[in-house]
Amino acid sequence: MDDAVIRDYIGRELVRDPAVLPLDNSTPLLDSGVLDSLSLLRLVLFIQDQFGIVMDDLDVIPEHFADVDAICTYLRSRPDYEAAGSREDARA
Amino acid sequence: MAYLLQDLLSDSARRRPDGVAVDAEDRSLTYAELERLSDQLARALRSRGVQRGDRVGILAPKAAASVIAVFAALKSGACYVPLDPASPDERLELIIADSEIAVLLAGHATAARAVGIVGSAPRRGRASRPASHSQRGSAPERRSVIVVDPRPGPRDAPLSPPDDLGSGTEVVTWSATLAEHGDALPATGAADTDLAYILYTSGSTGVPKGVMISHRASLTFVDWAASCAELEERDRVCSPAPLHFDLSVFDIFASCSAAATMVVLPPRTSMFPVRLAEWIQQQRISVWYSVPSILTLLATHGKLSRFDLSRLRALIFAGEVFPAKYLTMLLGQLPDARFLNWYGPTETNVCSWYELPRGTSSLTAPVPIGKACANVDAFAVTDDGHRVSATGQQGELFVSGPGLMSGYWGQPEKTREALVANPLADAPAELVYRTGDMVSLDVEGNFLFLGRRDGMVKTRGYRVELGEVESVLYEHPAVSEAAVLPVPDELLGNRLRAVICAERQPSREDLLAHCRRRLPAYMVPDTVEFSDTLPKTSTGKVDRVLLGSR
Repeated sequence: MDDAVIRDYIGRELVRDPAVLPLDNSTPLLDSGVLDSLSLLRLVLFIQDQFGIVMDDLDVIPEHFADVDAICTYLRSRPDYEAAGSREDARA
Repeated sequence: MAYLLQDLLSDSARRRPDGVAVDAEDRSLTYAELERLSDQLARALRSRGVQRGDRVGILAPKAAASVIAVFAALKSGACYVPLDPASPDERLELIIADSEIAVLLAGHATAARAVGIVGSAPRRGRASRPASHSQRGSAPERRSVIVVDPRPGPRDAPLSPPDDLGSGTEVVTWSATLAEHGDALPATGAADTDLAYILYTSGSTGVPKGVMISHRASLTFVDWAASCAELEERDRVCSPAPLHFDLSVFDIFASCSAAATMVVLPPRTSMFPVRLAEWIQQQRISVWYSVPSILTLLATHGKLSRFDLSRLRALIFAGEVFPAKYLTMLLGQLPDARFLNWYGPTETNVCSWYELPRGTSSLTAPVPIGKACANVDAFAVTDDGHRVSATGQQGELFVSGPGLMSGYWGQPEKTREALVANPLADAPAELVYRTGDMVSLDVEGNFLFLGRRDGMVKTRGYRVELGEVESVLYEHPAVSEAAVLPVPDELLGNRLRAVICAERQPSREDLLAHCRRRLPAYMVPDTVEFSDTLPKTSTGKVDRVLLGSR
C-alpha cells in the first residue's frame, strides 16, 4: 500500500526520464539516475509529510533509497511510522 | 621546447615517483604508474594514427582510468574532448561528428556504449574549421574505441571482437594496449598554442559550442590556481566536477603540478550530505573545489559537527552565486578553513577571485567575484564605452590575457562575437573576451556579479542557453510555441520551467522524453506547463517578464 503511494509520487513528480516507467519496487532509484540531490530532498519531504515521521539527516543514506523496497524497509524500522492503511483505519 | 600540461606529470613523476597521484575507487596510481600507463596508452593512440592536432574523445566518469586517458591523449599530441556519460547518445554522436573524433577512450562501464555511439555518429564534421590549428582535412574514415581499465589484473570488457561489429569500428582491449611495444614516445612537435582540450557547452541556437583551450591558456590557470590554493605535496584535493566541466582542470592538473594527490569522489556520494561529510573526513581531504550547491547541502544537512574536518583547509567554490545565508552557516561550521570564490566562464578559465577575510563569521550580501588573477586583465565597460572605475558603477565584464580560449570549434562567427577588439579607446590592439556578465565595483575595488545580459542561465553550476532548450522543444512535431524560463532556486541556482503551446497536446512524459534524447540531464526542463497562447511584447517577442510573473 505504502509502496504504491511512494511509487506513484516518484513516477509523477520526480522521474525525468520516462524510459524508467513504470516503476516497480526494485527499480534502482540511484543507479538509474531517478534521484539526484534535488529530487532526493523532495522525496524526503514527501515521506516525512506522508508518513508523519521526521527523518534525521543521518538516515539520508544510499542504503535507504536504493529502491522503493529499501524505503519501505526503512519506514517499517521507524517506531513513529504510521502506515497509510492504519491512518485510514483511524480516520474511519 | 614548449612546456605542456603533460610536462607537469613528467616533472612530478621524476620528483615524487612513489607519491600517490590519483586515489580513486577503481584504482590508486602513483606518479610513476600514471606516467608509465599514460605513456603506454599514448603509444596505442599513436599506433592508431593519432597525431598532433587530432581530437581524442573520452567517455568515462572521473576515475583513475579517465586520468590516464587525459594524459595519454595529450602525450599523443592530440587534445581531449570529454563526453558526458550522462548526456544522451544523440548529443554525444553530434559532438563526435562535430569534433571529428577518430579514437574514443572509454572506461570499463562505458565501453559498450562507446562502441555503439562511435558506430552511429555521422561521418561528417562541419565544413568550416579554423585554419589556425593544425587539423587534418577530412573526417576520419575509421574509428577506434580503446578500453581503459587499470584495475589490478586486467579484466577486459566483454565486447564482441572487432570483426563482429561490421561498422568499421576497431575495439582495443586494455590488455592489448599494455602489450604494445615500450619504446620511448616519439616527440609530437606540439606547441603551447596547440589545443589541450575542447569543452562543449550549451549554445543559444541549439548547437553545442566547443570551447577550445590551449596548453598555454590552461597552464596560465593551473599555475595561478596551484599557487592561490597553496597546494603542496601532502594535499589531498577533491572536486566532484566531471571531466566535461572545467572545474575538473583544477583537481587533475593543479594537483599534478604540486605533486599532490587528486582524490576521486565515488559516484553519487555528493547526494548524501552525511556520507559526503564522512567521506571527506575519512579521505582527509584538504582542498575542496565545487559548485556552491553541494556546499549548501553540506552546511544544511551534513551534520558537520559530528565529523573531524580539521584537515579541510581550503574550500573553493565557483560556477554560481553562493547564497550568503548558507555560506554563513558553513563559515560557522568550518571556522579555520580558507574560503575562496573563483569566477570565470569556460572561455577564460578562472579570471577573478576573492578570498573571504579570515575570521569572517557572517555575510549579508553575496560574495564578490573579486579581482583579476595573475596574468589576466578583467575590466568592466559601461554602456557608453568607458572603463568602470568608480564604486557602484556598472558595466559588462571583459577579460584579456593568455588564459583565453582559442575560439569555438568550427564556429568562426561565434568566435568573432565572443573574442572582440578591446572596446576601450586607449586600449592596445588585442582580442578580449566579452563575458555577457554585468558587474559593478565595490569600495575595495572588487567586482560584484549582477546578472546576465542575455538568455543564459546557470543551473546546478552548468550554463544553459534558454534558446537551446527552446529550439529542442520546437523540434517536437506537436509544439507550436515554446518558452523556457528560469525559476530562481536557492540550491540549484535556477530550475527550468517550460511553457508550451501545442496543437494536439502531447503528454508531459512525451515532451520530456523528447528532451532527454537530445539534451544533457541538466538542460531538461524541471517543469512543463501547457498554455493556449504565450504573451507577446509590442515587437512580437515572447514577453518573458509577463510570463515569468504568471
